[in-house]
Amino acid sequence: MNNFAAEPLFGIIISIAFYLFGVFLREKIKSDFINPLLLTIIGIVLTLILFKIPFDDYNQGGQIINLFLGPATASIAYSVFKQIRILKKWAIPIIAGCIGGSLASIGSVYFLCRVFGFNDALTSSIIPKSVTTPIAIEISAQLGGMPSITVSLVILTGILGALFSPFLIRFFHISERIAAGTAIGVSSHGIGTSKAIELGEIEGAVSGIAMGLSGLFTSIFISLVQFFG
Amino acid sequence: MRYLRQIGIIFLICYISKIISTVIPAKFPSNVISMILLFLLLITKAIKPESIRDFSEFLLKNMAFFFIPSGVAIMDEIPFLLNKIHLILFILFITFVCSFWVTAIIVETMMKRIKGCEEVDHE
Repeated sequence: MNNFAAEPLFGIIISIAFYLFGVFLREKIKSDFINPLLLTIIGIVLTLILFKIPFDDYNQGGQIINLFLGPATASIAYSVFKQIRILKKWAIPIIAGCIGGSLASIGSVYFLCRVFGFNDALTSSIIPKSVTTPIAIEISAQLGGMPSITVSLVILTGILGALFSPFLIRFFHISERIAAGTAIGVSSHGIGTSKAIELGEIEGAVSGIAMGLSGLFTSIFISLVQFFG
Repeated sequence: MRYLRQIGIIFLICYISKIISTVIPAKFPSNVISMILLFLLLITKAIKPESIRDFSEFLLKNMAFFFIPSGVAIMDEIPFLLNKIHLILFILFITFVCSFWVTAIIVETMMKRIKGCEEVDHE
């Protein structure tokens, strides 16, 4: 039998189909908890399991979509450039927020992993979960973690960001759009940023910068700790 | 034609960034290098924003879509994560809220201070 699922177009088509359906549902229901990305991932995983299609077959098309992650990240520079005047004015608070937030993330993960008695390999895999995937993989490997696990946790964290950020902005009474954008970028990298872009141009641009800066600071902190520790 | 040129420019920047990331001694992801590189090209006016506008806006608007395959890849890790998944999700959620809150409070407090100082200056 021919393996139709191993065609690259198969992976691309079901990704687009589920995603468009997710976007349609959110427009109908208008809730932050209807997240097209999360629905698409669940939909595709269930489809693959149901029809016994291996992930590698889906990933023939998946790799082509992955190719666009680089250009998508680069394009954040365009939205940052459009907001340059606001960013210049608030550079110091944004940088301070990124440093504080990155340290809070590393510290709280380390503390909770110790509380639950996780071993070093698992702890090292969780520590970089707030930063963008390519940086997280490097940090995980550098610490002796398991990069494939780290990738999953980074994605889960991003989805948490996309789901809960709008709620947290209201819950913590964050009135400055720049503060909200920075918080989203630091705590939930690119996937959070995709949500921030939907919230507004300022939030999106700041979140993009914050994602880059927190990735940078996190890798610097980890290198320093390793060097002196 | 116009779109092809825009796609070409952004792909070229990403490709150059890949090369840079393998050449520099520090391990730094090429995605972030491409973001910095494009930003520098824009502020130095080496690239006009119009010459990448449509493709950039397409990528930004559909950003979440490009994360789908990475998310589906979790299915191969599920067996490993399953026995600790409740604890891991708990940690992910608590630490996410923690870093979100710390970041937002620092930025918001500093912004209010700066705005306060500006108002005093104006008086």
